[in-house]
Amino acid sequence: MRKTWFHALLLVAVAGALLLAACGPTAEPTSAPAPTEAPAATQAVEPTEAPAPTQAGEPTEAAPAEAEEPVTLRVGTTYIWDTANPTFGWYNYALRYLLYDTLVEETKLATLEPGLAESWEVSEDGLVWTFKIREGMTFNDGTPLTAEEVAWSLNWTIENEPETFGFYLANFDEVVALDPTTLQVTLSDPVGNMEYLLIYVWILPQSVWEGMTYDDIMEFEDLSAGLGSGPYKLVDWVEGEYLILEANEDYFRDKPAIDRVVYQEYATEDTMVQALLAGEVDAIDTVPSTAIETLRGEENVELAIMPSTTIDELIINSHENGTQPASLNDPAVRLAIAHAIDKQQIINVAYLGYADPATVVVPTSLGDWHNSDVVDIPFNVEEGNTILEDAGYVDSDDDGIREDPDGNPLEYRLYAEDTASNARILEIISDGLAQIGIAAPPTVMDEDSLIALYPDFDFDLIYWGWGLDPDPDFAMLIFGCDEREEGGWNDSGYCDQEFDEMYVQQGITVDHEARRELIWKMQEKLFEDRPYIMLTYPKTIQAYRSDRFTGFPVEAGDILWKWAFLQGRPVE
Amino acid sequence: MERGNYILRKVTFAVVTLIAVLIFNFVLFRILPGDPVKLIIHSPRMTREAQDRIRSTFGLDKPIWFDADQLRQGDVVGAFDSQFTAYIRNLFQGELGISFVSRRDVADILSERVWRTVVLVFTGDLIAIVLGMALGLIAAWRRGTRLDAGILLWALFSWALPTFFLGIILLVLARGHLPVGGMVTPGLKPEDGLTYWLDVGKHLILPTITMAIVYTGEYILIMRSGVMEVLTQDYILTAKAKGLSTYRTLRDHALKNAMLPMVTMIALTFGYTVGGAIQVETVFSWPGLGRLMYEAVQKRDYPVLQGSFLLLAVSVILANLLAEILYSVLDPRVKPD
Repeated sequence: MRKTWFHALLLVAVAGALLLAACGPTAEPTSAPAPTEAPAATQAVEPTEAPAPTQAGEPTEAAPAEAEEPVTLRVGTTYIWDTANPTFGWYNYALRYLLYDTLVEETKLATLEPGLAESWEVSEDGLVWTFKIREGMTFNDGTPLTAEEVAWSLNWTIENEPETFGFYLANFDEVVALDPTTLQVTLSDPVGNMEYLLIYVWILPQSVWEGMTYDDIMEFEDLSAGLGSGPYKLVDWVEGEYLILEANEDYFRDKPAIDRVVYQEYATEDTMVQALLAGEVDAIDTVPSTAIETLRGEENVELAIMPSTTIDELIINSHENGTQPASLNDPAVRLAIAHAIDKQQIINVAYLGYADPATVVVPTSLGDWHNSDVVDIPFNVEEGNTILEDAGYVDSDDDGIREDPDGNPLEYRLYAEDTASNARILEIISDGLAQIGIAAPPTVMDEDSLIALYPDFDFDLIYWGWGLDPDPDFAMLIFGCDEREEGGWNDSGYCDQEFDEMYVQQGITVDHEARRELIWKMQEKLFEDRPYIMLTYPKTIQAYRSDRFTGFPVEAGDILWKWAFLQGRPVE
Repeated sequence: MERGNYILRKVTFAVVTLIAVLIFNFVLFRILPGDPVKLIIHSPRMTREAQDRIRSTFGLDKPIWFDADQLRQGDVVGAFDSQFTAYIRNLFQGELGISFVSRRDVADILSERVWRTVVLVFTGDLIAIVLGMALGLIAAWRRGTRLDAGILLWALFSWALPTFFLGIILLVLARGHLPVGGMVTPGLKPEDGLTYWLDVGKHLILPTITMAIVYTGEYILIMRSGVMEVLTQDYILTAKAKGLSTYRTLRDHALKNAMLPMVTMIALTFGYTVGGAIQVETVFSWPGLGRLMYEAVQKRDYPVLQGSFLLLAVSVILANLLAEILYSVLDPRVKPD
């Protein structure tokens, strides 16, 4: 009797050893190089729902699947979203565009098309906009969607000012539905980028949002918050795990070829890449640079390399009360710094070639808003040295660092956020500056510490980046004098009267060509004053299983974007 | 009576530690640089009024400790309407604040996650404990033999193995055979019964193997050294002299005494693993507490971090307390001085 206790312990030990041994054979077939692909590929072609855990699993899931196999796109992402509530959910914006519609839509980067509004016109003074709303549309719950519902939604937005998109309607005075297909918007001031603003303003149904107070809206987390009129309906969401969408039969355009979308959350990008290789997901929203080589060699995986609205720059502290040395305010020093930075090396080392050298603040992906006349300052250390020499910065004590006429050495603080690639980029910048006699030892720090330096403008050089809007307004806003106040977005401390006047002017210029000219002038001014030395325009890199899906347009800049879903279709 | 006193003292100590943790937990997230509102607000163009509204929603418009101006004017109640008093008050009401990111109650978020971590940690730990004890006992019993050397080598190897590294290796090896991430196939619900649990079981295999391998080493080493120490004692010699079989010697005399350090180890491991599964959960995308913390750090969701830290501290303190109480029961030598 008592012996059995001890025997049981030994038995468990043996069982444990067997368990360990059991995982060996499981792994073996994959460890041989050749068969790796075979199981992965079959898995991928098989129906989605039934990785058939067991026999028992089949009755529940397979029954509807057998009737009619829905085309399911499984998307791997590192974060689905924080809430189903669109009024404050900032993550995975692209996903929300599958649920809601807007009056105007961005089909691919910097390209607009009619959305819920078929067409529109603006009055002479730019104050009255009249939209023709499409006929016969409904929300996903079947309730009609006419100009009246659109007017209700816009008025609700103006009144409640939802964090994510309320501010876009700052100049909206009055919104009325003249009849079921005509919407009239009256503005307090002309708005230069009216169409762009409207691509952010989702039309939400009265049935869900009516009668809620600000606090109610802030706390609303029901899945019904996902109700809209977009091409997909929100079916299920489990925080930290997955989200399921189903195609909307009544969508005002053709019902998408992809019937079902399943987002699966992975904690790390590396795991996500493994899931793509195993065929557990069909597309992933980010590809870590370390995985690019692996995926490029995969037969069934296609890398989507796309333009983005991201920019990377070196910020030069330009605030008149900043703590930067006086020499850094000298245009000659700034020009010399521009000559000393090897952008191509940054692109090769940090982006593995997947970025373009940058010239001006507005990236090339923004189409004709990008000032293509500006010619970049070439990487030329000799030229940089000559400029500094001529401007009176000489290395008088032979320590390899130049001094200004007052004898202060050209020593600058060079900061960046602490990521692996940033550390490498700072090295490249620092090496370049050393070659023209400027000492700028690289320092990486945590993001909060970096942000804490901004209010007092207590830095010299910071390597930083922005994700910009498809409209150039924000790219220009970050150089405004007002934006230097607490809570503003000006991180360089740049302030220029002439520039600010142009900013105000472009904001009320409705004519595209006239506004473009202003935006070009502003970019040129920034290029000459150099609060930023622009470094790169990085690409967006995503990947999908080309053995299962095709048709994703890469011009959209995101294969997980509404218009990509509308065009994507299964292979065969 | 004596034991009652001992337990009371230990409980008092645990409560004092807990209070210290509560205060530290508050201070920690207030001394971090940067304005938390900046972390909540992502929008370039949000109006200052909207920013203020958010500030007041999260109680960040209040002073941290107290308002000196109001105190000077004699308004004591108003002066102490601070972030700290709100924090303590809410704690007593079981509220851990609202997430900066999802705006949900932190207590709700934690309770959703905690059982997922427990499922993982419990399975992994159980395997590690059983395996570790058995192997440790065998090694001590056969000390000096090749078997012992082999087990010892394995123990040191597995103990030294970085969790995330082992996890990724296993993941790459099992790719295509076992799911690489998540807890369940999307769409399956607990209502689906057996199907759901079998699917969860399949997702559990890789993370538990990883945990079991990493934790076994520690248990083997402690078990082995405990048993070996006991085996050198005089009473073992006496037992042998009495003519007891090796089995009975081990079972009745060696094991009982060697279990003492194991109890501490097991209790502590359970206490720590609530948060200690961070690496396993991150590699295998297991939606538990560890990954919640990892993501909260990335998103600077301070209320969620604060809540997780508190839960972690409480579980470690409780596990410690439990170990100490168990000790007093198991070992008659542990007595109040």
